[in-house]
Amino acid sequence: MSKNFLLHFRPRRVPAEGLRFTLTWGLGGMAALMVVLQLATGLLLGFFYEPLPVRAYESVQHIQSTIFLGRLVRNMHHWTGHALIIVVFLHLLRVFINGAFYPPRRRNWLVGLGLAVLILTANFSGYLLPWDQLSYWAVTIATSMLAYIPGIGISLLETMRGGNEVGTATLQLFYFVHTSLVPAALLLFMAYHFWFVRKAGGVLVPDTKHTTDGVKTKSVPVAELLIREMAFAAIVTCFLLLFSMVVDAPLGNMANSEVTPASVKAPWYFLGAQELLLHIHPFVAVCVLPLSISLFLVLLPFGKSKTGKPGRLITTIFIGGTLFLMGLTVTGILFRGPGMQWVWPW
Amino acid sequence: MAMVKTKSSSRRSFLTKIWIGLGFAALLQFLAGAAFFLVSGKKRTDENRPQHIEAGTIADFMPGSVTLIAKGHLYLSRLDDGSFLAISRKCTHLGCAVPWIDERKQFECPCHASVFDITGNVIKAPAPRALDLYPISFERNMVMIDISRPIKRSTFTAEQPAYPQELG
Repeated sequence: MSKNFLLHFRPRRVPAEGLRFTLTWGLGGMAALMVVLQLATGLLLGFFYEPLPVRAYESVQHIQSTIFLGRLVRNMHHWTGHALIIVVFLHLLRVFINGAFYPPRRRNWLVGLGLAVLILTANFSGYLLPWDQLSYWAVTIATSMLAYIPGIGISLLETMRGGNEVGTATLQLFYFVHTSLVPAALLLFMAYHFWFVRKAGGVLVPDTKHTTDGVKTKSVPVAELLIREMAFAAIVTCFLLLFSMVVDAPLGNMANSEVTPASVKAPWYFLGAQELLLHIHPFVAVCVLPLSISLFLVLLPFGKSKTGKPGRLITTIFIGGTLFLMGLTVTGILFRGPGMQWVWPW
Repeated sequence: MAMVKTKSSSRRSFLTKIWIGLGFAALLQFLAGAAFFLVSGKKRTDENRPQHIEAGTIADFMPGSVTLIAKGHLYLSRLDDGSFLAISRKCTHLGCAVPWIDERKQFECPCHASVFDITGNVIKAPAPRALDLYPISFERNMVMIDISRPIKRSTFTAEQPAYPQELG
């Protein structure tokens, strides 16, 4: 039955050119695999994690130190979560470069953006759960950025924290979002996302219109694709497993609302925004810029293109913006030490 | 015949439209109900009630000193002229807890290196405004602080410090 499902989930034959690894770099499949890994490890952790400020930290310690394979399961959940953000970002970049967001894939681009937001939400809500100093103050800083949004900022901040400060209500909310809301939404969106890929006739194989005049593209049975995907999934899983066996997920001291540790930063994927906040007007950093980026990404597939690939202007804006944000993020991660002073990482 | 056909199909499409409309009405009702459910759960009854804590007697605090009032998450700062300021510990930049550095007589934020003076005024950015204040009152010799609502301010002004009664 499982074989049936795997083979019939997709069309019987797929274009041979679509098998080429460098066409997609396996990024979408990798993201899907990682979500499945996160569900599996998350389900295990959920049996022993206790979402209360007085118990959370201890229960994570308990998972790490006394439960069989507990440390490995937590490491995997931690590292896969971070890797997922990078993979989703690269997937978005790949789809952009191939121009795979123009009709008939327009709606799937939008669904994909929704998925990216969900993955970010999953990661950020999971950040607080260990309830150590790092997670407590990182979430404090990241949610404080909301207060700079004019008008609704303060009430948004208080809604997210369930009060004035990060506390019991915040942990309860984040736990619920992390373990119920996001997984449920993620599964629905993913089903939609995959269905749309099939509906659009599989992955976009660029340049077919130009090279094959009247010549029918070669197709191969879907099993050819499946066996490649399985092999790639095995490699990725092995890599994550090995990494998690060697590198431990960090767990600092228990959260203490009285003392802010000297070197504390927002989660790394928000460090670009935090870095910007130091240089430009807060209204631009946390409001104008994120809104215009979102608007750009949403409106992108509604533009026109003759070649099926994004034009030079759009590409320049996209790549330039990406490099700018990546530069800011890397600066925030590597070159900022205690008290946000400049440091050299080596 | 053709007329009958269009008639029946238009009747069918009319019924379909009604069903869709009813579906939307049901969805709107659910969304409205959910919104009220969530908003009413957010409200707290004691939100606007003042909540006074005792910081200590007036004589406990030396002029020119800053004392951490741990249970209120704030500092009681006594200026050189004997007046009091109850200063929030929360940095106005991104909400980190700001420690008082006694050697340099200033608040120094560990997160982004904002610096504030004894009145909570910004000496060094990125903090956008002075540290929040809490209202102070005096009952006999006791310094009382209302910790229910922090007061936002851009800078320190002369009317902010509270003077004990005997000093006028």
